[in-house]
Amino acid sequence: MPSSRNDRLAGLKVRIAALEAGTRTAGAVLPFGDPRVDECLPGGGLGLGRWHEFTGEGVEVETAAAAASFVAALARPLAARGQIVWVVRRDDLFAPGLAGLGLPPERVIGVCARDEAEALMVLEDALATVGVVAAVGEVEGVDLTAGRRLQLACERQGATGLVIRRRPYGGVSRRSVGSAAASRWKISPAPSEPLPGEPGLGAPRWRVELERTRGGRAGGWTMELNEASHGAHPFRVVCDLADRGLAPEEPFRRAG
Amino acid sequence: MDEAAAALGLYPGQKAADATALVPGLTIADADPDGDVEALQALGDWCVRYSPAVAPDAPDGLVMDVTGVTHLWGGEAALLDDLIARLAANGIPAKTAIADTVGAAWALARFSDERIAPPGGQGPLLEPLPVAALRLDEESAAQLPRLGLTRIGRLMKLPRAQLTRRFGAGVVLRLDQALGRTEEALAFRRPATPWFERIAFADPISAPEDLARAAADITALLCARLEREGKGARRFEVAFHRLDGKVQVAAAGLSLASRNPARIAKLIAPRLDVIDPGFGIEVVTIVAEAVEPISPRQQRLDADREAAAEEGLAPLIDRLTNRLGEERVWRAGPFESHVPERSVVRRPPLSQHETARPWDPERPRPVRLFRRPEAIEAMAPVPDDPPIQFRWRGRLHRVRRAEGPERIGEEWWKKPIDDVAPDHVRDYYRVEDEAGGRFWIFRAGLYCADVPTKWWLHGLFG
Repeated sequence: MPSSRNDRLAGLKVRIAALEAGTRTAGAVLPFGDPRVDECLPGGGLGLGRWHEFTGEGVEVETAAAAASFVAALARPLAARGQIVWVVRRDDLFAPGLAGLGLPPERVIGVCARDEAEALMVLEDALATVGVVAAVGEVEGVDLTAGRRLQLACERQGATGLVIRRRPYGGVSRRSVGSAAASRWKISPAPSEPLPGEPGLGAPRWRVELERTRGGRAGGWTMELNEASHGAHPFRVVCDLADRGLAPEEPFRRAG
Repeated sequence: MDEAAAALGLYPGQKAADATALVPGLTIADADPDGDVEALQALGDWCVRYSPAVAPDAPDGLVMDVTGVTHLWGGEAALLDDLIARLAANGIPAKTAIADTVGAAWALARFSDERIAPPGGQGPLLEPLPVAALRLDEESAAQLPRLGLTRIGRLMKLPRAQLTRRFGAGVVLRLDQALGRTEEALAFRRPATPWFERIAFADPISAPEDLARAAADITALLCARLEREGKGARRFEVAFHRLDGKVQVAAAGLSLASRNPARIAKLIAPRLDVIDPGFGIEVVTIVAEAVEPISPRQQRLDADREAAAEEGLAPLIDRLTNRLGEERVWRAGPFESHVPERSVVRRPPLSQHETARPWDPERPRPVRLFRRPEAIEAMAPVPDDPPIQFRWRGRLHRVRRAEGPERIGEEWWKKPIDDVAPDHVRDYYRVEDEAGGRFWIFRAGLYCADVPTKWWLHGLFG
């Protein structure tokens, strides 16, 4: 009796594995071009055909400016392959700013949803569409069911979902729920460092914390925007010790 | 004026006092020309069940272009029978006629018992009618009978030159219009479209799934015709005609012309929720607008796997625009203005348009731009220098690095000269606080020693 049960279990496992293999896209990734980041991510880069979550803290929860600019730069290599649908709930996305980060306006379709449910629905719809290579959604949170739906939509055409967690009009936080995202990042702005002898501000920098990723390791880096003319990868990892200069340590401490 | 009234000896134009004398219990209502026009308009809307081309002909007529639709009723006579019966059922006595020209139909309906003039054969039918049947102005209508010209036949025999000299061009024009020798323009309720289909039901339908199926069926009918003629349309309107004469419309717009019935039916389906079938729907019609030629596409060999980018994107855009509204789905493009909030123009995502000069990459712009700049308290001890610290939303930000100013003036050439003032100049600075947050702030107006300057936060760089 036990042996036949084990056989049946083994048989079921094989069938489940076969079913799962059918829905998974072969592990296409978007590498960051720096081994320090890529080795933390399964497959050596940001998994395409999945969805990823980007959060911020403090005032960023409401404005999500750092996350939006980071995601825009991140999506720059993808824009060459198709359209990017950007779903917002608060209509404050400024196209010239996106263009400055490398997302040309002819590749971005903006959608302003009326509420959270509509934003998720549009996001899901866009991800399942041929010709959409990535969809960015600014939503408050994605619960497990919605997350599973997003994942299925991503797998339809291999589009990548980039979810920016944002409460666009402030207010009380929703209870934090478990999430089905393939990876979860926390983005905060970091002080820029202009080239020696140059006045003003340097290239934008972000403090990037990879909080969780399936099949990978957590990590944290400071990244600087790489100009489009300086290679295919949108970011340059700044060496924490040498490049950070005299920037104060305090703002980077985790709130807990 | 119905038969009951005529039997009592009443006639139009009679004085109210005479009429009350004749019929003591007569109820008198004031004339309501506006109401009449409205009612005629409503009747015109109702008549769309027969043909999309309906023109109200005030004060008491409707002109319908039934070219190419009579076969749907099984002939012209059957159409007229149906129309009369339905009008009578609604308590509207009516007379009808079909002829080649508006003038002839008008004359036959009002002055003749003949209902249908054969093609090109209106002349003999018009001959015995009085000249009033020509829609003449009052003066000619009064003068012609005085000269013995009582019948249209007499008028037709007279030399045209004499007629024109005696009675002006109006009489000849009306005669020509009735006989089809000259054009006549009609103001149709809506432009006549050949892209029209109609399904009538023996039993009225009302179940939601029946409505959906009817919409799908009629879309398929029209799309088959579009397909045959190599055309597609960008707007479809399905009208549901209720038993009580009310019409309800479900419409769907597309960003690219299409004739894919499944796709169009899918766009219309969500609109059916608001259709109230009442006692039942007896007729469904569909009209396609913005019809344009589209070339048939070669099916790809690997069609099930891949489609052209437009094929996938266009249905998505259509779904979103129909669901959220046109202003909520856009593609941003540059607009030639240096005022930041005016430098972006939003267009429908798939529309073709000429591109303006792109935004200047040398002038960094924030990724978030507030619709209304937010007031900040800034401390800027040095004139024309960025502030050293500012307070935004109750939090103090110490400025670590700054660049600017970028002076942006108002578009003074668009305003009356009195409204132009130096206070409207904005000096923008890009500043970074100690935590790395990058802000786009500006000082309103020029620096002035004795007036406190106002600072605003307009956007956020990430």
